[in-house]
Amino acid sequence: MLEDKLLVLKCRHGNKDAMCRIYEKYKDYLLTLARGFLGEQAEAEDIVHDVFVAFARSARQFRLTGSLKGYLVTCVSNRARDRIRARMRQAEALDSTSPFAAVSRNPEQHAAEVEELTRLRRAMRQIPYEQREAVLLHVRGEMRFREIAKLQGVSVSTVHGRYRYGLDKLRSLLNSEVKQ
Amino acid sequence: MRPAEDIKRLIENLSDKTSIQMDQRVREDMLHELEKSNQTSARIEPNLRRTIMKSPITKLAAAAVIITAITLGLFEFIGTGSSSGVVWAEVARKVQASPGVIYRSREFMPDSRDDESDYTMNYLSSTHSRLDSYKEDQIFKTIYDDYNTKTVILVDHLPSHKSYVKMTFDEKIQQSNFLTNPKSMVQRFLSCEHRELGPKTVEGVLCEGIETTDLAFDRSGPDYPTYSVMARIWVSVETGYPVQIEIEIVRNNGQIRLADVLDQFQWDVELDESMFEPNIPPDYIDISP
Repeated sequence: MLEDKLLVLKCRHGNKDAMCRIYEKYKDYLLTLARGFLGEQAEAEDIVHDVFVAFARSARQFRLTGSLKGYLVTCVSNRARDRIRARMRQAEALDSTSPFAAVSRNPEQHAAEVEELTRLRRAMRQIPYEQREAVLLHVRGEMRFREIAKLQGVSVSTVHGRYRYGLDKLRSLLNSEVKQ
Repeated sequence: MRPAEDIKRLIENLSDKTSIQMDQRVREDMLHELEKSNQTSARIEPNLRRTIMKSPITKLAAAAVIITAITLGLFEFIGTGSSSGVVWAEVARKVQASPGVIYRSREFMPDSRDDESDYTMNYLSSTHSRLDSYKEDQIFKTIYDDYNTKTVILVDHLPSHKSYVKMTFDEKIQQSNFLTNPKSMVQRFLSCEHRELGPKTVEGVLCEGIETTDLAFDRSGPDYPTYSVMARIWVSVETGYPVQIEIEIVRNNGQIRLADVLDQFQWDVELDESMFEPNIPPDYIDISP
């Protein structure tokens, strides 16, 4: 959006309001993705924090070539992948206590959604990271397959495959939970 | 069996919210970095100059470096010009002497979204510039730069926006926009390591070109290190003016890709000052900070 271009231009001129507006605009969206990638709230918050601080550090030289949203998603995704790699080197410790926040504010509906989203989250942890990333970026991040392909450094058909397998596995995992 | 659409809807419902503590932490650190980068960019040059000029030895060394650079630059110009029909030093001189230039620029980005322009018409004089960006032959954005007052006005013509913003800029920012300025680009080509491409007909004009892959061609900061550069300039053998400039720059290990083509040049034109007067319809909203 052109609004983003204006905000970026203002940031290049050191405008603090513009920087805060970008943060306000994308913070929840990026946090949702980061948490989807990693599962843990604290790690997700750290990633979003680091992305915005790095963005502010380089704001004077930043040149927006695509969409700001796409750029920020790429930054979050790259950092999340680094964390996953670091995790694989260490023991995996995922937060299993706090569920995703649900959209609804009706208490009963909210509880049902929280439960459903907790199951989703548990299922997501069980699918390979590349598949999880493809599903999240496409469905929640609204990224095109070719953009995800570029991000993951693979072909579009590979991303298609990861997305399809990921979704099928999620469906299978969630259905098996329901049957139990 | 639960349908895939159901799973997708569930994923779409994922919605985390940042906490007040997190907001506070991010805002503080982010604005601190922004403040720091503002101070750094304003401070570096005078400090460096002061350091050099304080010491007689560094002063002498600086003089030697300048003399060497000038000598090498002269050899570069002479060397390149002598082996082709185009005298590149003359190209640089003519481009600098041109009072105004009009050209089209197009960006080819793999990540381009719908909000990107199809092309931009650029009008440059020594004191002003105006950029009209088009999508599907409809103008949707105009940018007016005034180098005297150091102000920039962005006008957003999209029917849903109809707004404009006025800001001031410093010279460093203007210099950093070298990709949009063909005058500075010619100098940059010549100051970088380059090779001759020989003759080629571009837009029906017989041209000779040079190509550079020198990373110094780019001016990205330390946060976005240049990964690769491929830039070509084609100059008319007859007129000695650039006809087409192609640039592909990859930064940050492939995460940022720029691909620009500048063409349809009209050099040595006198541009009427009135075309740089911002034309803002009365119903447009001022969203300046």
